Amino acid sequence: MRTLVNYLKLAAAYTRLNLDAQLEYRGAFYSQVVAMFINNCIWVWFWVLFFGRFKVLRGWDINDVVTLWCIAASGFGLAHTVCGNALQLAVLIARGQLDVWMLYPRALLPHILLGRMSATAWGDAIFGYIVYLIFVKPDLPHFALFVALTVSIAFLFVGFSIFTGSLTFFLGNSESLAEQWRYAMITFSTYPATLFEGAVKILLYTLIPAVFVSYYPIIALRQLSLSHALIAVAGSAAVVAAGVFVFYYGLRRYESGNLMEMRG
Amino acid sequence: MSDAAVTIENLRKTFTLQTGKGLKRTSSEVVAVDDISLSIPSGQSVAFIGPNGAGKSTTIKILTGILRPTAGSATVLGWVPWTDRKKLVRQIGAVFGQRSQLWYHLPPRDTFELLGKIYELPKNDYTKRRDMLIERFGIGTFLDTQVRKLSLGQRMRAEIAASLLHHPRVLFLDEPTIGLDVMARQELRDLIREWNKEEGITVFLTSHDAGDIEYVARRVVVVNHGKVVLDDKVSSMRRQYLGAKVLSVKYHDNPAALDFPGATIVKSSQYAVRLEVDTQVTAIEAVMEHILKAGSVADITIEDPPLEEVIAHIYSQPPQPSTGEEDGE
Repeated sequence: MRTLVNYLKLAAAYTRLNLDAQLEYRGAFYSQVVAMFINNCIWVWFWVLFFGRFKVLRGWDINDVVTLWCIAASGFGLAHTVCGNALQLAVLIARGQLDVWMLYPRALLPHILLGRMSATAWGDAIFGYIVYLIFVKPDLPHFALFVALTVSIAFLFVGFSIFTGSLTFFLGNSESLAEQWRYAMITFSTYPATLFEGAVKILLYTLIPAVFVSYYPIIALRQLSLSHALIAVAGSAAVVAAGVFVFYYGLRRYESGNLMEMRG
Repeated sequence: MSDAAVTIENLRKTFTLQTGKGLKRTSSEVVAVDDISLSIPSGQSVAFIGPNGAGKSTTIKILTGILRPTAGSATVLGWVPWTDRKKLVRQIGAVFGQRSQLWYHLPPRDTFELLGKIYELPKNDYTKRRDMLIERFGIGTFLDTQVRKLSLGQRMRAEIAASLLHHPRVLFLDEPTIGLDVMARQELRDLIREWNKEEGITVFLTSHDAGDIEYVARRVVVVNHGKVVLDDKVSSMRRQYLGAKVLSVKYHDNPAALDFPGATIVKSSQYAVRLEVDTQVTAIEAVMEHILKAGSVADITIEDPPLEEVIAHIYSQPPQPSTGEEDGE
């Protein structure tokens, strides 16, 4: 418990410092935040237009889809405002840039993840919470569950980025693979999971575990169902566990990153 | 219990190198560190030098827990670096001249604050230590200036101060003076030497600068092709390894020709001669006789050859047949 509190304090210190670093260039920071906010609004507007013509899509109405966009965006935003280096992991490994992190007396992986903040992630996070409050108008239990699920989804996205980024230990320079895989995850996380069947559905439970964003959390909020919420949390935990395992297993091969550095 | 800060026994590190184009790829083993053994007592300052690709940085990375060796063993302050990394790094500091731990867009003060939290330093201890380092390293004037706006010399001073914040007992410095001007370089050398003497901190330094080695270190370990080729006191390295002396002689009038075994005339003018003598070929007493015989001597200076020359001579030695290729530091 003491260790957890200790790491939460460290996370707070990093977040503050990362934000200070971002605010050194206020214009660039605010414009990125606003651009991402507007980008998400455009997508939601598209769905509003769609549901203006078709009231229900495979059992989903406009509230469900807006909830999906809000929960996915705020989960993704939360993940990368705090753990921005999750998006950079493949690059850090491929370029042998883990060295500096290994010189600190902290658990390597969480410490690396905390080392950077994504400016656009603020736009995602702000969009998710504000639009959910304004558009869906939840009561307190729904909003509390929404916030809890965004934390679960944040862990899911971070775990997924760790997993895909850590493949660099085994494949060498696989930045593009990690990026494409992550885009696939984001794409599938922003469409109702009920749209997909068969092989794609299997994919959504395994290689692209988007159902823990685009299905279980939405059903949990729609029905205020604790069991669905727990399945979403369990899914996130499984993805994080897989990511952590692959990272530390691959770390033994870190010399390959060193080998690449020598060519430069 | 031994008082050695660092012990290395038969350390070996190999990398797998893939070469070839397209589908035709072949793997080969590159030896970066080849059977290195060393013991460094606590409080000693050691220069660990060698040409590019000699295995210096790989050795430092193993000693700081970044890389695992292929074979052999090593301990730093009693810890095995690659298995006890988290415990070890609380006791060591590391500065890489080409990598920074300071936050580029923020002032050094912010990085110091963060490091205090990373190392979990009690607030009072942290403040006291930070203030002492600010004073000793003279960084107070730019402590609140963004790192990107600092000169390289200022940045390196802040960098080393940051690495000392948690009271490390061993300091690893990988080319800390790279890119610095003469003044900044000398300031940094003074600080490192002072810290080594006053705090008894063990210093493990790699550098390509002969001045760093001469001024900061008392012992020099030269590695080449992954092996230790020389381990000696800096003061005796020139004499023992080359056995050469540089003599500058001024005569009252035109001297006779100086021609004896082991002597090379470096420069000569009407009344002055500068020559390099291999004292293993002609003993220094015999050299003096030749010089005095050549004419009436007005002045004479005997110097050791510049350290750069000694190092270049050591580096130029061919590899042993069993050693590998570059590790590409």
